[in-house]
Amino acid sequence: MHDNIIERSKDISILELLDRVLNKGVILSGDIVISVADIDLVYLGVRLMLSSVETMEQLKHVELTD
Amino acid sequence: MQKIIYAVLLTQNSLEVVNSFLTTIKGMLNQDLYSITCNGICAVVGSIKKDDLIGGRPQIIEYANVIEKLAWEFTLLPMRYGSVMDSDDSIRNMLKRNEKEIVQNLKKVENKNEFGLKIFYDFDKLKSELNERLEDVTENKLKIGTAKKNSAYKDYVLMKLKEHRDEELVLHFINKPISEIKEYLVRLNAITKFKKMLNPTNMIDVVFLLDKSKKGELVELVKNLQNKYTRLNFVLTGPWPPYNFVRISIKQ
Repeated sequence: MHDNIIERSKDISILELLDRVLNKGVILSGDIVISVADIDLVYLGVRLMLSSVETMEQLKHVELTD
Repeated sequence: MQKIIYAVLLTQNSLEVVNSFLTTIKGMLNQDLYSITCNGICAVVGSIKKDDLIGGRPQIIEYANVIEKLAWEFTLLPMRYGSVMDSDDSIRNMLKRNEKEIVQNLKKVENKNEFGLKIFYDFDKLKSELNERLEDVTENKLKIGTAKKNSAYKDYVLMKLKEHRDEELVLHFINKPISEIKEYLVRLNAITKFKKMLNPTNMIDVVFLLDKSKKGELVELVKNLQNKYTRLNFVLTGPWPPYNFVRISIKQ
């Protein structure tokens, strides 16, 4: 029971942290250019690209270009 | 290599202290950290390749760790993950252009920490427990109502009345701890943001900015509330850097 509470608290802390770092804080406006599979150039605002952990995971293998 | 900004600090006359501290910690991917100054403020910066930003959770946690270590020592505004610029000069110019707004925000959070409080409960369980107290009365009323065979319409109205009463019971119950928390935070001059009844298991989500010296009192309050309201589960997180109290979008 006690272990469950500790584990759940850890999960909540990690989620709270990710939510803060990805969705809060000072926003620096700007654009980044990413190349998807060397075919398309997609222009995304930094905020949009980094708005969630899921998005981060999806973009893990996407190649970035300057 | 790009420049990633972790936070903007209020340095005033302590730039040497900041620079000395930066030699004791490392940035993401073990990169060195340094400061770029503009009058009484500075940005804490490290070098990074853009594609290193897309590594997922470990990188984000590394980034957050740097901000947290800085927040233990200095007043700062945390930057959102992914705040990258091309050069030191670009960052210096950005600081100059936004200096006034940055200083205003830094003053607002000086010597304060952010905390988060979530209160969880099981709506159905709580509802049934509260219901038991009134069960006798309700049962009697229903019996009176059902002595003669009810019409479908009457059954429907009774069912809706019961649902409404259940919700009122729960709302009435959870308003008590919410009022106590609000009262306490007002007394401590905390700046708060409340979200109530987010979903059936998370009745309240509050973030607040509190003087660093009040942390012990806050922990005591939450402990007392937990002992008093045993059906609820209180989760206090923090101290955090002031992520939720930075109202600023700066231009590059």
